[in-house]
Amino acid sequence: MSEATPRITAPYLETFSHQTVRILGKVVQLRGEQATVDAGGQIAVLLNRDSHLTLNHAVEIVGKVQNDLSVKVLASTDFGTNIDFAAVEAVVDATHRYKEIFYGDDS
Amino acid sequence: MDYQQNTYSMTSYGAQGGAGGGGFMNTGSQNSPGSGAKQQYGKDTLRPVTIKQILDAQQPHPDAEFKVDGSEITQVTFVGQIRNISTQTTNVTYKLDDGTGTVEVKQWIDSDATSAMDTTDSSKPKLAENAYARVFGRLKAFNNKRHVGAHVIKPINDYNEIQCHLLEATVVHLHFTRGPPQSLNKEGAANGAYGRQDGGAAGGDYGGGPLPNTLSGAARKVYNLLKTAPQTNEGLQAQVIAVQLNMPTADVVKAGDDLVGQGLIYTTVDEHTWAVLDV
Repeated sequence: MSEATPRITAPYLETFSHQTVRILGKVVQLRGEQATVDAGGQIAVLLNRDSHLTLNHAVEIVGKVQNDLSVKVLASTDFGTNIDFAAVEAVVDATHRYKEIFYGDDS
Repeated sequence: MDYQQNTYSMTSYGAQGGAGGGGFMNTGSQNSPGSGAKQQYGKDTLRPVTIKQILDAQQPHPDAEFKVDGSEITQVTFVGQIRNISTQTTNVTYKLDDGTGTVEVKQWIDSDATSAMDTTDSSKPKLAENAYARVFGRLKAFNNKRHVGAHVIKPINDYNEIQCHLLEATVVHLHFTRGPPQSLNKEGAANGAYGRQDGGAAGGDYGGGPLPNTLSGAARKVYNLLKTAPQTNEGLQAQVIAVQLNMPTADVVKAGDDLVGQGLIYTTVDEHTWAVLDV
């Protein structure tokens, strides 16, 4: 299951350190090479050159969780402003509760 | 050959030629139907799945339908991010990733339709790499490699559809593995509260151990009523149950038969009066 990118929110960061994950959150701060994304809590994000984040927009980040629980972006997709974050949290909860249909049992 | 003899005998009694011919026609038409094999389109389902479920789907033997959670899948639908598009002469192959795995989706090019599609689609968002798309299609296996033959693949306009799809796939998965939700107030499901029910029926449900997951919702209702409603040792009659549950009697009878089949209730004074078999 090396291709799977589990969907997580901030509380799950610790469990998934050094893994590639998928985070859908709201951009709350942009500081050049870094940004802060709110997804069930604040997550520090290290941007790459291709990532174009927009303040207050939802963004989906596929990235790798670093030692200090920041996330290094591999790919990012702008999701606009019309995102129901309650649904996003419900998805993250469901995907980890019923991981048999989402992620391998080893993750 | 029997009917021919009949026809001849009728004509021989005189002036019955027309009627005899009619009889022959009728016999002929009765023989004709019934030989054509019926295709079981009635079994076709459209199931929301994750890509991991597609990759994990079981195929009992080659050419058989794939199975997910023990039930056959025919049409599937899923949402994923397009990782790669490769256009070939006969088809376009998309590689889709939904976070649970990746799968190839092939859409055959219909040379008549594509030109019309291109002109109408120019204003809408297009299928591009890294865009999200919804796929409707059928799971295929070719040379031990799985792909989805797409009937429709279209870009997603509202990103909430991704969340919606994943939750829908979860609900359907749970429906097949654990049976239908045991109460209608599914709002509690967000907290993972499939277990608890409200009202008086709740206690009865878990009193004697959990019910089998395969029971229908109607059967659960009937069982709960039989377990909780005041009654004599003759139990309750199907029509009484139907009135109390506000259900059609036919549904109650079917639910009761299911429960009898499962050994959860037994018939008492007649075949439509049941009492709970409490062990």
